[in-house]
Amino acid sequence: MGKLHISSTPHIHQKGSSTRNIMLDVVIAMLPATAAGIIIFGLKALWVVLTCVASAVAAEALFNLCAGKKQTVGDFSAVVTGLLLGLNLSTNVELWQCVIGSVFAIVVVKGFFGGIGKNIVNPAIAARVFMLLTFGSVAAAVQIAPLFDLGFLGNAVPEIAAGATPLASLNAGVEGAQNAPSVLQLLVGAHGGTIGETCGIALLIGFAYLVARKVIKWYVPTSYVATVFVCYFVFGGFNATYALQHVLAGGLLLGAIFMATDYVTTPNTGKGRVVFCVGAGLLTFAIRQFGTFPEGVSIAILTMNLLTPFISDWTRKKTLGGIK
Amino acid sequence: MKKDISSLHVPHNKNTAACAPVQIEMPKEVILPMNMHSGHDAEPIVSVGDHVKVGQLIAREEGRFSSPVHATISGTVVEIAPMPTSSGKDTLAIRIESDGKMEVAESVKAPEITDCDSFLQAVRDGGIVGLGGAAFPTWAKFNEAKNPDYKVDTVLINAAECEPYITSDHRMMLEHPELIADGIEYLRKYMNEYLGNAVFKICIETNKADAIEVLEKTFEGKDYVVIHKLKTIYPQGAKQVMLYNATGRVAVAGRRFPSFGALIINVSSIAKMAEYLNTGMPLVERIVTVDGPAVEKPMNLIAPIGTRISELLKVTGLKAEPGKVIVGGPMNGTAICSVDDPIVKVSNAVLVFDEKSAVLPEASACINCGRCIDKCPVGISVAEVDRVMNIKNEDKKAKMLIETGVRQCVDCACCSYVCPANRPLLQINWDAKSFLKKYAAAQKEKEGGNK
Repeated sequence: MGKLHISSTPHIHQKGSSTRNIMLDVVIAMLPATAAGIIIFGLKALWVVLTCVASAVAAEALFNLCAGKKQTVGDFSAVVTGLLLGLNLSTNVELWQCVIGSVFAIVVVKGFFGGIGKNIVNPAIAARVFMLLTFGSVAAAVQIAPLFDLGFLGNAVPEIAAGATPLASLNAGVEGAQNAPSVLQLLVGAHGGTIGETCGIALLIGFAYLVARKVIKWYVPTSYVATVFVCYFVFGGFNATYALQHVLAGGLLLGAIFMATDYVTTPNTGKGRVVFCVGAGLLTFAIRQFGTFPEGVSIAILTMNLLTPFISDWTRKKTLGGIK
Repeated sequence: MKKDISSLHVPHNKNTAACAPVQIEMPKEVILPMNMHSGHDAEPIVSVGDHVKVGQLIAREEGRFSSPVHATISGTVVEIAPMPTSSGKDTLAIRIESDGKMEVAESVKAPEITDCDSFLQAVRDGGIVGLGGAAFPTWAKFNEAKNPDYKVDTVLINAAECEPYITSDHRMMLEHPELIADGIEYLRKYMNEYLGNAVFKICIETNKADAIEVLEKTFEGKDYVVIHKLKTIYPQGAKQVMLYNATGRVAVAGRRFPSFGALIINVSSIAKMAEYLNTGMPLVERIVTVDGPAVEKPMNLIAPIGTRISELLKVTGLKAEPGKVIVGGPMNGTAICSVDDPIVKVSNAVLVFDEKSAVLPEASACINCGRCIDKCPVGISVAEVDRVMNIKNEDKKAKMLIETGVRQCVDCACCSYVCPANRPLLQINWDAKSFLKKYAAAQKEKEGGNK
């Protein structure tokens, strides 16, 4: 009989529970939105997404190599970051800009802080904001360029002015809502915006998948979206359609489902995550309504990322039978 | 409505639930360690060369919460020396070579019990310890119920057996429900003053339907016995979890268990206690579940305590080279170095894993998913314990560790089990707890020095 392995308890591990599987699930959940983006914005969208993913993965591999760290490319977290960044850019972006953004995300935001699990802000969001400030119009709305004729969708495809985003119209107040796409049109998503944010249906499919796979809790993105909805419902004079348009326009769904649920940069309890999302929702409303940017999801999540340690502290679970 | 306690579903793997226990052939020798209980080591009272018989006292209890050891086969004492045991380090043990006769000692006769004190003394003499894993002397547990401050109104009989694979308690309930009933009657009779009005709750998971049926029949018409069915989840058998789920009471940290008005005792312990009180035969043999991916024919075996594990594996056979051998369950059991180690009083199972299932994936960085916190039955911020343990400043580290609640850890291992990064979280919790103990001791000393 050979030598026996010795280890601490437990001796079994939950089947399928691994970082890699979680990241793979997130990638799968983003695929509908990616596909929708390519259909709506044409092949350029595919190249943007592919460039982001490829350069993020390459940056991760090279950084680990140069820094002499254990290779973590296999955990798929770089794929998630690259894909998420790609979905947050519009087809207005140059491919070389995508490379710089991805490298910034992986090396500066993640690698320099200690790699996976150690970054304090979401790499994809930080890179997007970095690109917005550096290159200007990388997330600017562009005319849609469908892969094939979307005419069969009929009324679901709005006639839109070049460059105008639904949010720009909506931010003008309830009156501006007439110029914005209808709720149905927003759900289909054939209008200006970033690659991954426009198609509400595709994002909701991703949401359902993540909840079904128990990667995220349903109430986390919901609390974010609900906060924004309530804010606009009250602000818009109890107009549910207007509030719903606001929820579906812009990057709110993409941010709530895929970025506000990032484990690393959000609190570690359900309660903490809801606090995080309510905070992000209020900030999103404030920035959209009173700020100079039309869209506030990125900045809101980024700000809440920085507050995460404090929220974790305030919302720490009380232990059963614990004594203070 | 009270809040549900966090817990998880682990694969049951109760492959041996339908296997009636089989008595193994008499082993050629047994090794009886002196530390088969939670307190101080027992003290041998025999010498090399002595002839001993089954049930004969060979080591007396020595010091607090110790327990006597009895010969489990008849034969000759051939060695009294430190020997490797499943505890991981060499322990003083008595090796007895069989004479092949299994002669029962003359001293084995039902003890005379007249009152509470003689009852407790008998339980003490029988070497009965908690067979659920802690191996706390059973008499001492009952003795605590005498404390007038505690007012014990519930006796929880732990029949959850929530760990995967193990079915030894399950089989005990099926084979010997009458012993459980006897045990309860003994308690009611001789501890009437303290437990006379207590409810005896047999807490059993719903996956043991046949045992529930047998118990319900056994205790029909006895209103002081309740068969309390619990959801089949892990760690239902942890005493803090069971107390909460069966009575709604919360086990406040730092207090003795009976202070919550409840005693908790493993179902096999109470049966073994009754067996001793009925016949005078001390705890010399037990049911051991032998199972695992590398075991040819999973079985329940009745073996003398001290039997080498290799003897049990000869009976069940192996279908693969063992990669890991575990005494106890896969969530809480101990991986042992050698199959030559003996089974002890608390060894409810021997699991043999093949090479493939022996090694768990390597740990990677925490991604803060929070599953460890979510699944912790007492709600410890496990992920934070992991992080805080890296802090150098001891004062800061101690303060932050206390905030995580790690001192309430029940050692269930749910955190490690679910961790997607495969981090050894339970082990880190242990490190944290031992650090806090040392830190508190050092603080105390410092304060004393200042005076």
